[in-house]
Amino acid sequence: MRYLTLRLVAVLVVTTPGVGHSQDAVRFERDVQPLLSRCLQCHGAAEPSGGLGLNDRTAALAELDSGLHAIIPGKPEESELLRRVIAEDPSERMPPKGEPLTSEEVAVLRRWIEQGAPWPAHWAYRPLERPAPPTPQALPHRDWAQTPIDWFILQKLHEQGLSPSPPADRRTLLRRITFDLTGLPPAPEDVEAFLADDSPDAWERVVERLLASPHYGERWARHWMDLVHYAETHGHDQDRPRPHAWPYRDYLIRALNDDKPYARFVQEQVAGDALFPHDTQAIVATGFLATGPWDESSLRDIRDDTIDREIARYLDRDDIVTTVMSTFSSATIHCARCHDHKFDPISQEDYYALQAVFAGTDKGNRPYDPDPQVAERRQSLQRELAALPARREKHDPALLAPALQQQVAAWEAKVAAQASQWVVLDPEAFGTENGALLTRQPDHSLLSGGPRPATEVYTVTARTTLPGVTGLRLELLTDPSLPQQGPGRQDNGNLHLNEFTVTAAPYDDPSQSLPLTLINAKADFDQQGWTSAMAIDGNADSAWGIFPEIGKPHQAVFELKEPLPWDSDATLTFRLQQTHGREHLIGRFRLSVTTVAPPLPLNTDSLPAEIAAALRIPAPQRTDAQRVLLAAHVLEEKLSAELAALPPPSLVYSGSNDFQPDGSFKPAATPRPIHVLKRGDVRQPGEVAQPGALACLPNLAPQLTMDDPTDEGQRRAALAHWLTDSRNALTWRSIANRVWGYHFGRALSDTPSDFGQMGSPPTHPELLDWLAFELLESGGSLKHLHRLIVTSSVYQQSSNATESPSPQAQSLDADNRLLWRMNRTRLDAESIRDAVLHISGMLDRRMGGPSVKQFIESPGIHVTPNVDYRNFDVNDPANHRRSVYRFVFRTLPDPFMETLDCPDASQLAARRTESVTALQALAMMNNPFVIRQSEHLAARLERERPNLPQQIERLYELTLHRIPNEREQAALSHYATQHGLANACRILLNSNELMFID
Amino acid sequence: MPTPSQHPILPFRSRRNFLGTLGGIALTHLFGRSGALADSPRPELNGGVHHPAKVRRVIQLFMNGGVSQMDTFDYKPELEKRHGEKVDFGLTAAATSVPGAVMKSPFAWTQHGQSGRWVSSVFPHMATVVDDLAFLMAMTSKTNVHGPASYLQNTGFLLPGFPCMGAWISYGLGHISDELPTFVVLPDSRGLPYNNAGNFSAGFLPMAHQGTIIKPTAPTPINDLSPPDWAGHITSQSEADGLALLDQLNRDHLEAHPADSRLEARIKSYELAAKMQLSAPEALDLSQENAATQRDYGLERPETADFGRNCLTARRLLERGVRYVQVWSGMGGPSKNWDNHTDIPNELPFIATSVDQPIAALVRDLKQRGMFEDTLVVWTTEFGRMPFTQGATGRDHNGGVFVTWLAGAGIKPGVAHGQSDEFSYQAAEGRTECYDLHATVLHLLGIDHQRLTFRHNGIDRRLTDVHGHVIHAILA
Repeated sequence: MRYLTLRLVAVLVVTTPGVGHSQDAVRFERDVQPLLSRCLQCHGAAEPSGGLGLNDRTAALAELDSGLHAIIPGKPEESELLRRVIAEDPSERMPPKGEPLTSEEVAVLRRWIEQGAPWPAHWAYRPLERPAPPTPQALPHRDWAQTPIDWFILQKLHEQGLSPSPPADRRTLLRRITFDLTGLPPAPEDVEAFLADDSPDAWERVVERLLASPHYGERWARHWMDLVHYAETHGHDQDRPRPHAWPYRDYLIRALNDDKPYARFVQEQVAGDALFPHDTQAIVATGFLATGPWDESSLRDIRDDTIDREIARYLDRDDIVTTVMSTFSSATIHCARCHDHKFDPISQEDYYALQAVFAGTDKGNRPYDPDPQVAERRQSLQRELAALPARREKHDPALLAPALQQQVAAWEAKVAAQASQWVVLDPEAFGTENGALLTRQPDHSLLSGGPRPATEVYTVTARTTLPGVTGLRLELLTDPSLPQQGPGRQDNGNLHLNEFTVTAAPYDDPSQSLPLTLINAKADFDQQGWTSAMAIDGNADSAWGIFPEIGKPHQAVFELKEPLPWDSDATLTFRLQQTHGREHLIGRFRLSVTTVAPPLPLNTDSLPAEIAAALRIPAPQRTDAQRVLLAAHVLEEKLSAELAALPPPSLVYSGSNDFQPDGSFKPAATPRPIHVLKRGDVRQPGEVAQPGALACLPNLAPQLTMDDPTDEGQRRAALAHWLTDSRNALTWRSIANRVWGYHFGRALSDTPSDFGQMGSPPTHPELLDWLAFELLESGGSLKHLHRLIVTSSVYQQSSNATESPSPQAQSLDADNRLLWRMNRTRLDAESIRDAVLHISGMLDRRMGGPSVKQFIESPGIHVTPNVDYRNFDVNDPANHRRSVYRFVFRTLPDPFMETLDCPDASQLAARRTESVTALQALAMMNNPFVIRQSEHLAARLERERPNLPQQIERLYELTLHRIPNEREQAALSHYATQHGLANACRILLNSNELMFID
Repeated sequence: MPTPSQHPILPFRSRRNFLGTLGGIALTHLFGRSGALADSPRPELNGGVHHPAKVRRVIQLFMNGGVSQMDTFDYKPELEKRHGEKVDFGLTAAATSVPGAVMKSPFAWTQHGQSGRWVSSVFPHMATVVDDLAFLMAMTSKTNVHGPASYLQNTGFLLPGFPCMGAWISYGLGHISDELPTFVVLPDSRGLPYNNAGNFSAGFLPMAHQGTIIKPTAPTPINDLSPPDWAGHITSQSEADGLALLDQLNRDHLEAHPADSRLEARIKSYELAAKMQLSAPEALDLSQENAATQRDYGLERPETADFGRNCLTARRLLERGVRYVQVWSGMGGPSKNWDNHTDIPNELPFIATSVDQPIAALVRDLKQRGMFEDTLVVWTTEFGRMPFTQGATGRDHNGGVFVTWLAGAGIKPGVAHGQSDEFSYQAAEGRTECYDLHATVLHLLGIDHQRLTFRHNGIDRRLTDVHGHVIHAILA
């Protein structure tokens, strides 16, 4: 423990330098704010104790409940705050718990008040300006410094009396940068080439090569996917896979490889569909809004009039708002859901203003046309179709134009020919077993109403006068009385016909009744896993269903194995067994027979009742209204057919109000009203919130302007513009800080998604601003930022603490916050997996496409499938793709990757944890993937080198990028001789030297 | 140089900032056994963290699907009187259905033990141990939907991505034995519950704190505990020699890269892995238990064998130093669990029988072995069910009230706290929530639930969010 204490003391010196600078002017952020932030638990913005809020200057200077003033600028002795922190009486002294302030800390406060208690804006909200880098001439080690970044770092080191470390050796450097920029190890040839290249720009050329590699996008997209909690299932109890999520992942990889300007990158993800409607990729980018979990049971399956549904809607929007503001602004907006933010200037109104931005946004599969021409045609057809009802209502004379009326006549002839193939049966008797009521309709269909039992059986008897019936047709029809218009009676409009059986008898001799064998069922639509064939399979557990194609008519046709044997009229008795349960009943249906030879005709265009009625009137006797009606129908059919003939749209799981409805989960036509919820409780709605952004930036107003606030996309577009405004310092600081963090294993502000009062202030605020400004000035080029960083001397330092020229560095700044050396980092889960594949020679470098499932998937008992990682074929080529293409299952994550600290995909992960556990050791030793790749590696070595010593040498080159020393050569050879080369390979894949990047 | 376990995680802001300085993140995350708090008496015995602990280890029995309280422990004569009546509960819709008529419990009820607890005939064995249990008769849930409700009971939040109680306890107290995981989950042998492994997640805590799933009857009960069968080149000798070789390579590397405790920690982790390979199969070997014990837990009866095996395994794991074991009854999905929408008279006895004898045996066994001295048993579910019918004889979800019980160290036996209204529709008095249950469990472990925190994306997160009161009424 002694060691620990020493370190703590040392750190104190580093992190509160004000104490060590007692004679200097006090600087608020560096010296005072860390002290005040200790008080915010009680003296924050929300309900401050004693009326004292220390969240901003106005609050701090205001009159207290006691009538006194905590701070009177220039007058420390009259300031209550100072009196209370030095009070002898423990009941008076602040803070009430823990150690009192030290005399140095009190002195800081006293001098600060003396100096007028200056309180500059919080560092993160301050307008962005380009800071001048320190002048290198004044600093020691100026030869070490190569770039302005180095000067910033050097100055801080100099202030603490520290020196930078010497550069790492070239092998280490190449390993470092290759993993950093591509997530893969260098190939031995790359090492050789770099070691041999003594040209002055050797390093720059390595950097350019790696930035141009397509693997760069894969590596950095994976960072982004952590940030936005990308996964390909819903999470929650119904953890349904999202087969259309991956286009967003490919978008990320492409955008990063193309070095898409950051502002555009942000805009596309928040509102690409609205801002760039003709750019297919910009639509795909809105997959960003839908990366998070989605509560299918609450948002789709339970009744939509329940409080649980309303709660779920708010929480789902909370996920979107939190993801947006955390990712782009490093703002912890979600803290203001139930009350004003305790520490930051973010009110509950701000929070709900942001909810209002996404008030019409839901997560769903959005159709889009990768081909812009198809997209345009589809839009124009859809426009025409949408205009039709109004034209019909208004009796648009164009609908009576002769050309169109000719088309109607042709269509009518076709319909008549088709209709004659089927003869509709008129039910003579019908009944139910569990209480549903069937009523006969004018079109000879039967409508089910009244009680809605969980299961039901309908029986229908009808007479046919056709001789030699060959087939039967069952039409399922819609009706306004049914849920979702039907055709089923389930809340979601579905039905399940478990068994459909028919008996027949001569009309005049019921005693000759015989069961009919039905074969070759086919339907215009089958629910996945619930086909029409299942209605005649004799298995009462399976059934025909039509979900999600609800709200429209459907039909199934069934051949008779033998035509009816009688020439006379026959009585047909139908039994429609619907025993699946949960009210999956048929809502309205009609039966027909035919005598045509199979295959039976299957119409996909059952006519609406009003059209059928109009057709029954002979053409010359029709009114204009009827002619308009028919013309509109024919036009609709024609346009729909043309629409259907277009290539099917692709789908992307994204956030908008343009998606396929799913049961009672439907797009909101216009944004829903959002209320400011008292205590975040939907039962306590307050005022209606209007869309807006954060009010904490002094030079950027929170108001969002849009032409049409009822347009869902426009709200998002307005926020996207606010986020990417060059005056939005949060955005530019946030991304510059993140990029730095991924390069160094730790960001300048150590809380990359929290730039608020309680986050870590940056260790080098001027450097952060310089980087942010460089990024902004470069037009938002992330590759420019990478170049600046990795060509600095700071980045190229040795990570080995013992190589530091400052012997006191380890004790003074053990945590290396000042970067007196490079950080040593452990490979993350994906890099380990990809490195193993790279080394074994099995890496499949194909890019993009649907994610690979590295598990056996089988149907689960309910929605969530069963997922088996353990028994997945270890030789399956899916194993060889890069880890970024892995299908990530939210509630059933790959235990191997999880053990290696792959984060919970339901949480936004601004950085990864690094754990060391016994289970991790077991995974690296015993996981089938590692074992099989060790075998591949051994085979590769045997292929490429003739004898064991050379094979061991090659193993070291591939894995550790160096030649083994004699001791290692001897030990590995000995082990490989005894236990085989594959085992030796596996041991080396477990070594610390591979797992850590110096 | 101290061993990693001696480095505590410091939860308060001022101190947490120092934490980040302790030679990287590694020290705090090593082995998932970092203690959570500074200036604390070490919890090796019962010193606790914030105050003395009564409990050192916990077993939670989670009944997945929503146990029908008025058919098990919450006797309601009013339901018998009003059976078949349409009562207006001011509710147009339950979670998945339209409210039906009031339905009495179809089971026989009798009072048991000194405490006179009413227990229905579905739990004849648990009825014999009621004097050891303390009941929470008015637990409530904010939601009536399985997914969010299961998250709520496990993590205190409706959304995925938050750490569950086991993970918090692992984070807060660390391990008892380093040869077995700190937090173990024994799922129903038929499958995982609603939310799958989401219920056992470490959320934003270091991943090392997540629940380790053990499937006692699977060929590989713990993932990667042993190599696959096809790997013929891996033998016990290759592993022994291989670990020695790896140790040598890593120590040479360490010599060239001193002052980085993560490297040492990784070396040590392979020693622990080897130990776990020996200790885990031993812990799971139920043949070491005598015939009488096996019979008590119901291992001979097909209907109780699965859950009985998990209960007995849980006891063995606790004995060997696992801190927290969660045993699940029922898998996700519409059947084979406690989600009895369709047919209470038949569905409920099926699942109730499977746990009844094993749970009673576990309580008796822990008591006889003296484990009640420092072990807590928690029996719970995600919500209750409705007093009226769904369909003919089913019951829909009801977050309004449900029953939980606790037993063991620190618990006042034979008491009940809270009660439901006359229909068992809503909590009437002594209402408690998951936050209170979680606060109470942490309290017994010597932890103040308001001080066990972890900063994530701007918030000092707690298991109990901004809620939670220790339920002193059931504490001894």
